[in-house]
Amino acid sequence: MNEEELLIRAAEERAIIVNKYAHGREEGAQIDPWEDPQFEIYHVTDRYGFIHDERIAQRNDKKQIQVEMEREKKWLKMAKEWDHHKRSPEKLRRRVYKGIPDSLRGTFWSRLLNLETIKQEQKGKYEEMRAIAWKWSPDIRQIDLDVNRTYRDHVMFRERYGLKQQALFNILSAYSVYNREIGYCQGMSQIAALLLMYMNEEDAFWALSALICDKKYCMHGFYIQGFPKLVRYQDHHDKIMNKFLPKLKKHLDRHGVDTGIYTLKWFFQCYLDRVPFRLALRIWDAYLLDGERVLIAVGYNLLKLHRQQLMRLGMDDILTYLQIRMERSEMDDDIVMESLQRCMEELKKAKLHYPGPSPPDELPKMPFGTFTEPTFEQKVGRRTSELTALERVATESVVLRRQQTEEQLEMDQLSPRPPGATSNGHHRLSHISGSDGGNLGGSKFSFDPSIDDASSLVSRRSLADTSVTSTADLSVFSSVTRSHAQDNSLDTHSNVSDESSGPRAITPTATPRALTPQPSAPSPDVVRIYVPYSSPSPPSPCRQNGDLPPRSLPCPLTSDQNKLIIKVDNNSQEEQTPIVEHGHLVKPFQLNSPEIDLK
Amino acid sequence: MANRGGAAQRPNSQTQGKICQFKLVLLGESAVGKSSLVLRFVKGQFHEYQESTIGAAFLTQTVCLEDTTVKFEIWDTAGQERYHSLAPMYYRGAQAAIIVYDITNMDSFGRAKVWVKELQRQASPNIVIALAGNKADLANSRAVECDEAQAYADENGLLFMETSAKTAKNVNEIFLAIAKKLPKNEQVSGAGSANQGRRLVESDSSAKTAGNCCK
Repeated sequence: MNEEELLIRAAEERAIIVNKYAHGREEGAQIDPWEDPQFEIYHVTDRYGFIHDERIAQRNDKKQIQVEMEREKKWLKMAKEWDHHKRSPEKLRRRVYKGIPDSLRGTFWSRLLNLETIKQEQKGKYEEMRAIAWKWSPDIRQIDLDVNRTYRDHVMFRERYGLKQQALFNILSAYSVYNREIGYCQGMSQIAALLLMYMNEEDAFWALSALICDKKYCMHGFYIQGFPKLVRYQDHHDKIMNKFLPKLKKHLDRHGVDTGIYTLKWFFQCYLDRVPFRLALRIWDAYLLDGERVLIAVGYNLLKLHRQQLMRLGMDDILTYLQIRMERSEMDDDIVMESLQRCMEELKKAKLHYPGPSPPDELPKMPFGTFTEPTFEQKVGRRTSELTALERVATESVVLRRQQTEEQLEMDQLSPRPPGATSNGHHRLSHISGSDGGNLGGSKFSFDPSIDDASSLVSRRSLADTSVTSTADLSVFSSVTRSHAQDNSLDTHSNVSDESSGPRAITPTATPRALTPQPSAPSPDVVRIYVPYSSPSPPSPCRQNGDLPPRSLPCPLTSDQNKLIIKVDNNSQEEQTPIVEHGHLVKPFQLNSPEIDLK
Repeated sequence: MANRGGAAQRPNSQTQGKICQFKLVLLGESAVGKSSLVLRFVKGQFHEYQESTIGAAFLTQTVCLEDTTVKFEIWDTAGQERYHSLAPMYYRGAQAAIIVYDITNMDSFGRAKVWVKELQRQASPNIVIALAGNKADLANSRAVECDEAQAYADENGLLFMETSAKTAKNVNEIFLAIAKKLPKNEQVSGAGSANQGRRLVESDSSAKTAGNCCK
């Protein structure tokens, strides 16, 4: 460019700028939207890219930013010594639970998922799958429907057919042919989208694949037909609720909000859309580090943290709370995460931190990434109107859970109560808990509202301790059993019980002395006896946590209809409360004549 | 119409009238607009990109009928076939169901018929079923004729309306029609037990929830 040209260019440039100012904002003025304060997206987009309806209050989180910048340095240093930190992850774990700095999240998520290794091993596979999917995937239609409505309030997914929508469509389609046992299941699109917020297309594909088939996460069992892992996790969640939050569980059950209703989205999407997004990211940090046990612990943690509010609400409000208000909770994320770690410790002590490895029915059976042409039915999207055997099991389990909860509640209502006692008052429920693990007897001890507090566990245990050495007033027993003999639902219960994996408790009708509220003080009058209420044949084998067979619906008993067998469950090793008195292990209480005729 | 006022009424609640609570479930193919219908009915809103429902969602809304207030407990279910096996958890004990299809999609109508059959076989015998041909605003791309759906509904004793969650056409109307058809006396009981399904609610305790109805 010669001097003359340079002068001309400078003059033109000047003229354009002058012109803009001369015309100001009058009609026709060309203003780059990004330069204008009216470009609302600046003000309504949060730091994670979500676009809100209203402007976001500029929070004064300078200190937070400072902290995060400091952390970034530490994390970058840690990246250099990654192998060491992976081998002895104490420091890594501590830092992950404090939150991976957002700018490094993609990097460290990839590392936690070993994506580099996987990609090396599977070179070219992703492109291959994508190409097959474009031609053959029978799930394209459903994937399209869902891409069109996945995180449309996020800048990345806002534009129809935008870059990230293309990527989302691609990885879901490719996965649908890569793992044909799942194909595509609703719920996966949000996970894939989350991964795409932090990774490129191919990495996100392998990350999704790791989450589904790596034994650390094993989401395969959630998404396949019949959702076997969901059922197993819900059972486990029930166990935890009965042990640690029995009063809350009873409250939720009474309002028709049983585990089956609120945990599906929690487990399927690892709490996305059910807690604030920033907290979901923190939970995901932990999930990617520690795997599936985090799913279980977070559920317990959330209910524990929010239990006081939940206890005050009725059905509508409980569900609104769990579906909406919890996502808008202002609770400090650090507090939630610290509490999560305590919950994990607590569950570990109670041996409830891990529902066990996935049994065979939850694991992939077909090899990944092999192509077979879809059947005619699949191609044209024709459905079978009949449920498969696996699906029927799922149906039966969900219905059974509901029935058992209802029957349990009816039994509670039938059993005698002190006058004026309500769900919130000080009272003692007395009845036989005869249904499955979903209705263990923990709540029968809930005579004190504070009992749901983990700290009161000590007192609960000491209740159990005293129980064995106390004189069991069997006359009380018989009155309890009689009162239930009138309840036909007992028949239904009897068969279910051999699914049961936990102890049963009977708290006899409170003796007058025990009626006096004695908050948190152990009452020597309480008798706690585990009653595995099982049908006479066949004897129920002892099962490990993870090996629960598919549940089946109860069928009527043919004989011994009105017999209740009471015995001390010595088989249930894992859940048996050790009985200790004055520091000595006490031999469990035994009933030699195990049958009590209910007639 | 079912006899009204026969059931237990508390003496001090005459001004409020009776409040009946019903469980209603929405079923139908994926993306036909189940969640959108509920959102329109409950909040008067419409989201173009209503996110897909995972599992199910729960909402409530109250409508007033002369001397009776009807409160719907609405279970909005996931449409993908994979979730079909969980549906009984939601329709069990329901007194009403809306089966939704998309008038621009013939397959979704076929799917609706399958749902009708399943409910007739498995749900409470007295369940009130309504068929909703949604996306009526897209009549230009219609694939299911209104007459055909009407004839099918008549054959099977279903309430039927073409609705549009987008324009709000027939949304309140279909819920209202269901409310009218539901029995308000105490004798009839659904398949559910004490905890599930219809129950008479003491008026004073529910005054709050009845606030947003026709007054």
